[in-house]
Amino acid sequence: MADRIRANLGVAWRSQTVDGFRAGEPSTAVTGIAVTVLATTDVLRRAAAAGQNLIITQEPLYYATNDDPGNRAKDPVYLAKKALIDEQHLIVFRFTEHWNARQPNEAAKALAAALKWTSEVSGAPQTYRISETSLEGLAAQVRSRLPIRGGLRIVGQAGLQVRTVYLAPGTTSLAMAVTSLQKADAVLAGEPREWEAVPYTLDTWSSNPGKGLIAIGRMVSEGPGMSACAAWLRSIVPEVRVESLPVMDPYWSVNA
Amino acid sequence: MTAQETVGRIQKKLQELGIAWRSQTVDTFKAGAPETEVKGIGTTGMATFDVLRRASAAGKNFVITHEPTFYNHQDQTGDLENDPTYQAKQRFIKDNNMVVFRFHDHAHALQPDPLVAGSARMLGWTQYASPTEPRIYVLPATTLRELAVDVAAKLKGKAIRVAGDPDMKVTRVALGPGYGVPTLTSSVDVAVGGEAAESGGNVEYILDAAADGHKKGVILLGHMMSEDWGMKEVADWLRPLVPEIPVGWVPAGEPFITSR
Repeated sequence: MADRIRANLGVAWRSQTVDGFRAGEPSTAVTGIAVTVLATTDVLRRAAAAGQNLIITQEPLYYATNDDPGNRAKDPVYLAKKALIDEQHLIVFRFTEHWNARQPNEAAKALAAALKWTSEVSGAPQTYRISETSLEGLAAQVRSRLPIRGGLRIVGQAGLQVRTVYLAPGTTSLAMAVTSLQKADAVLAGEPREWEAVPYTLDTWSSNPGKGLIAIGRMVSEGPGMSACAAWLRSIVPEVRVESLPVMDPYWSVNA
Repeated sequence: MTAQETVGRIQKKLQELGIAWRSQTVDTFKAGAPETEVKGIGTTGMATFDVLRRASAAGKNFVITHEPTFYNHQDQTGDLENDPTYQAKQRFIKDNNMVVFRFHDHAHALQPDPLVAGSARMLGWTQYASPTEPRIYVLPATTLRELAVDVAAKLKGKAIRVAGDPDMKVTRVALGPGYGVPTLTSSVDVAVGGEAAESGGNVEYILDAAADGHKKGVILLGHMMSEDWGMKEVADWLRPLVPEIPVGWVPAGEPFITSR
């Protein structure tokens, strides 16, 4: 299965990568595939119950980028997850760097589709023209079309008029914000750092009316991309059942 | 007194406290000329454009910031030289004879860490600090929902995010400012901090713990909601070191607005 991914990806497999097997025995015969943003214990249980023994995940399994449990090595939550994988003979494969290296960007394309945005600006990848609205109106639209609970936060003036939006699912770097806001009125971000893209956007207000940023959280922003990944896998392994297991917005807000 | 001389007073005080000035540090001058005469000092969580304007209007031409001025930890500006927002900010600093200095690494080295103490004071938790475990606060029994509502009200935060069962019982809380949200373990109910990577950490742990019936929670205040208050403590610490100069706190405030 992993060989099939590598052969069909259209991107050279990197020698240094976080992608690859994170748990389980790679020689196991695959009975079904579950694709998810985050291989939580709940996702693993749902996959096992549905007979899917291969879980393909975008994010880490064991609470750290390198999947080293660190000071949680003797923690009951970690040990229970590990035991579940062993008992159910599950295999976990991380697939993030290579899926996100495909061009055009799969996660942005899928996020646009989930938002029902179809008009990509020519010469500005991941930038979409939308029906003109205010920044607050855009936030309301995003909220109605994605599974958001408390994770949505806005930087910018509520009344800012928005016609073009740059989609930056996942991690949203400073360079992305600086470059994309030259062409777009706002960025729809996954997870921007609060000492990088967030204050940069804040400071654009110095030239009235400035720019806007809406952060929706990493998991919500990557959900459509992993559903698209499941569809792609179906096309390259038609003999195996592939299901997309969504993870909801982990956050709630006292103001919501 | 110049900005450079002011920093000299800070360094001398740290030396008296047994804190050596580091050779590798982000605590350096970020903008303006160190030899500028200081009329007033403003401390802040982050030297945003808005903070610079308010500081300047209040006659505080020397801003001491905890977080970067130019949107990255090292304040590297090479990629920003042609950016109009960066250029406007630099021009404002120059036109108003301002100086910006970062006080991050050495602020965290103070005992107690003013960034932790400032948040604890704002939250009314100072008296609940564990005598033996740093950053642990043992609160009167509450629920995650009640705690989050109380925290948001005390900090006046609009964009505070919470993960975990709202009805879970809470007593043991770990408090860490900025990007250092404490790691949740079996001995802590709730971690309270600024911001955190949303993968590879507490959020998955909370979801996995819930699947096994262990209730854990996290309250993300936002970076400024967790460190701005600490720079008020730094203003109080700084004042007696430079009695000849007015020292005030210029909060950066929460950068987010929310909508329903």
